[in-house]
Amino acid sequence: MSDSPMFWRIVRRLLTSNYSRLFVILLALGAGAAITSALLNLQIDAKRRLTTEFRSLGANVIIAPRSAGNGGSSTSSSADETDARQRTMDEAMLAQLPTEYERKYVPAVAFLYVIGEVAKAGTLHYEPAVIAGTQGQGLTEIRPGKRTGYSAELASDPAACEVGVKAAGQFKVAAGDELLLRNQGRQASCKIFAVIATGGAEDTQIFAKLETAQELAELPGRISLVQMSVTGTPEAVKQFIANVSEKIPGADVHGIKQLAEAEGKLYHRISGLLSATVVLVLILTSLCVMAGMSNVAIERKNDVGLMKAIGGSIRRVVRLFLAEAILMGIAGGLVGSAVGLVVSIWLGKAVFGVAAQPRWIVYPISVIITVIVSIASAFPLRRLASISSASVFRGEA
Amino acid sequence: MFLRLVADSFTRRPKRKMLTMAALALGMAVATAALSVSLDVGDRLAQEFRSLGANLLVTPEADSLPLEIGGVDYRPANAGAYLPVEDLGKLKTIFWRFNIMAFAPILETQVKASPLAVDNVPDTRGWPEIPVIGTWVNHQVKIPDGTTYTTGIEKTNPWWQLKEGRWFEEGNNECVVGKNFAERHGLAGPMGPSGASAPASAQRSDLGPGSELYTYTGNANRAPGPALHVVGVVDTGGPEDDAIIVPLDLAQKLAGKPGVYRRLYVSALTKPEDAFARKDPKTMTPAEFDTWYCTPYISAIALQISQELKGTDVRVIRRVAEGEGNVLTRVRTLLWLVTFAALLAAALAVGASAAASVIERRTEIGLMKALGAGSGLVAVLLAAEQLLLAFVGGGIGYCVGIVLARLLGERIFGFAPEPKMFVLFVILSLAALITLLGSAFPLRRASRYEPAPILRGE
Repeated sequence: MSDSPMFWRIVRRLLTSNYSRLFVILLALGAGAAITSALLNLQIDAKRRLTTEFRSLGANVIIAPRSAGNGGSSTSSSADETDARQRTMDEAMLAQLPTEYERKYVPAVAFLYVIGEVAKAGTLHYEPAVIAGTQGQGLTEIRPGKRTGYSAELASDPAACEVGVKAAGQFKVAAGDELLLRNQGRQASCKIFAVIATGGAEDTQIFAKLETAQELAELPGRISLVQMSVTGTPEAVKQFIANVSEKIPGADVHGIKQLAEAEGKLYHRISGLLSATVVLVLILTSLCVMAGMSNVAIERKNDVGLMKAIGGSIRRVVRLFLAEAILMGIAGGLVGSAVGLVVSIWLGKAVFGVAAQPRWIVYPISVIITVIVSIASAFPLRRLASISSASVFRGEA
Repeated sequence: MFLRLVADSFTRRPKRKMLTMAALALGMAVATAALSVSLDVGDRLAQEFRSLGANLLVTPEADSLPLEIGGVDYRPANAGAYLPVEDLGKLKTIFWRFNIMAFAPILETQVKASPLAVDNVPDTRGWPEIPVIGTWVNHQVKIPDGTTYTTGIEKTNPWWQLKEGRWFEEGNNECVVGKNFAERHGLAGPMGPSGASAPASAQRSDLGPGSELYTYTGNANRAPGPALHVVGVVDTGGPEDDAIIVPLDLAQKLAGKPGVYRRLYVSALTKPEDAFARKDPKTMTPAEFDTWYCTPYISAIALQISQELKGTDVRVIRRVAEGEGNVLTRVRTLLWLVTFAALLAAALAVGASAAASVIERRTEIGLMKALGAGSGLVAVLLAAEQLLLAFVGGGIGYCVGIVLARLLGERIFGFAPEPKMFVLFVILSLAALITLLGSAFPLRRASRYEPAPILRGE
């Protein structure tokens, strides 16, 4: 363009001629860009966080022996040794379980259940109770509950156990007391390091070390089932289940339907709600910014009239204003989007307690959206093509 | 004269005013939609969370320890305590009765069963015991105030889905079988551990609607129970898949325990626990206790249930209650944030266009001043115009926003939020406030204009 220097000079004058107007436009564009980038970033982050939040529902994947389906159809008292062995798995399979999935840690806890008899140390009043041997990262990671009277030094004791709140009431024990366990002549004892309340079957059980339960049941190296808490979207969890069952063909790996269905439903509802509101807010933010800016643009008719009067073609004039709009869009977008990203990090902290990770893809996207919005806002100027310069100068129209 | 000036300004430049109004209306529409959805969504989401199942478990207070592994209670049927069914209507008389969404009592027992009528007195000693779960489906409960309430396990445990057939009806000896049970024991014959004792002539087909199950109760042989008509196959993904599910009264008959149940699942709409809810009610002052009691916290509802049903121990199912609380609080905060963003965006856009509309009217202001109008009068005139714009634009925005909120609500929850007068009030005052604030700065400058340079066009 031969008149390039002149073109840019006019653009510069357009921009700097009225600072308060420039300020208003930049404010509108910048605020729009900030909201766009903050919401986009927060939305991406929130969907990811949501799956983490769902893990407060506890374990969602269970690995049980293939024939576990028979478990309910025969009473344990009549079950003989081979039957009991059939309904357990080799604990060596624990080593095959992934500890991470999609870069998220997957807690896994192995259980061996024994129906034995339990008494408080010092009394000889034995009562039947479920003794669960556990191994792994601990109960609280897979089953949320309220632990009371927790003592860290006792927890590291090799013969420590955790007692459900109902069982504790039944045996009149509290943390620090000792329990005697027995099953068909085999004996063991353990020190209570915590009382746990989950509201589920755990409230009535006694959680001893896996080895203790294996000795009581005379099933060395065997486990009844493994509970895992897998973080991810419903589809990702399904994929995880497929992967694991391929790896461990002898076991039956399944999700807990109660959680899977409710989580899936809630996840889609909530993420749908978020996306819908965010898209709505974004569209209307751009519309609002556009409407506000068009108002400013129309007032430019004096400038257009003057340019036409001194011989500028309408295409040239529009190009001038487009250049101005793009420059303003870039400036407002660059600053606003950066502010928005910073704000979203802080907002993530306010909502989820963890700072949201800035997604860099959000930055160019929101800058581009801002530029598009600012170009679109310059469009009412096209209508000025029909303006006759004379009437503008007379102060009409 | 004042009104004429205002009216004139609208009729003289309708296009310009339309644009400002459009910005206002759009902004207020987002604000209305976001506000309506946010106000409504908490309750809707809380209801969605009920698909996680019951959040309260009621058991007898003086019970022996259940021997429960994987959802199956291995206690003999005569051990432990029971609760009377006739009290259950009282659940709908507690303070938060409308927050009790559903409840279902459970009585478990065991029978021996066969799809074949082997003969009248078979030797059932070698047969395994099949868990039987007695509960309600679509059951009419009499409430002490004279009305009836329909509830059942299909509401407390919505993931119990029928694979085939339908749910049983009470009083017809009907039952529903778990899907594993149906598959495994489709083989006709007594359900031995391996099915080895099946007669060779029996044809293999899955147990399903239309099949008959012959029950035998008691430990010794030859105590034929009722013949059950299988009307459905249920898929629960849990231990119930290996069980027979029957109406509660039938389970009571099979167990020989008329009029009782052992466990009760209650699904209640609750407010997520906050710091106040975690306080021990015993340490609260009377005023605090009243507030706590009259807030639908899960712990408060649990207390109210145990007050109404004597001799019970009401426990909070923590995985459900806590998971719900966590997610709900976060989503609500997030939505309020988005709403706030929408309000902010609307405010900025409206403010900007209000500012622009004042700036472009410099000449007019100059003229008015030249004709002798004081700065105050000019400001009041312009403010009146802006306010008029705000009310009209805000009103239009509200209407558009309500439609938007309906669309959103219906798409996501299948439920449209009710228009609220409160929202209209908030939106109109917000619109007025924003336009006034937006025009305040340029108005102040306008009131300082010297008419002469403006009229000269400088």
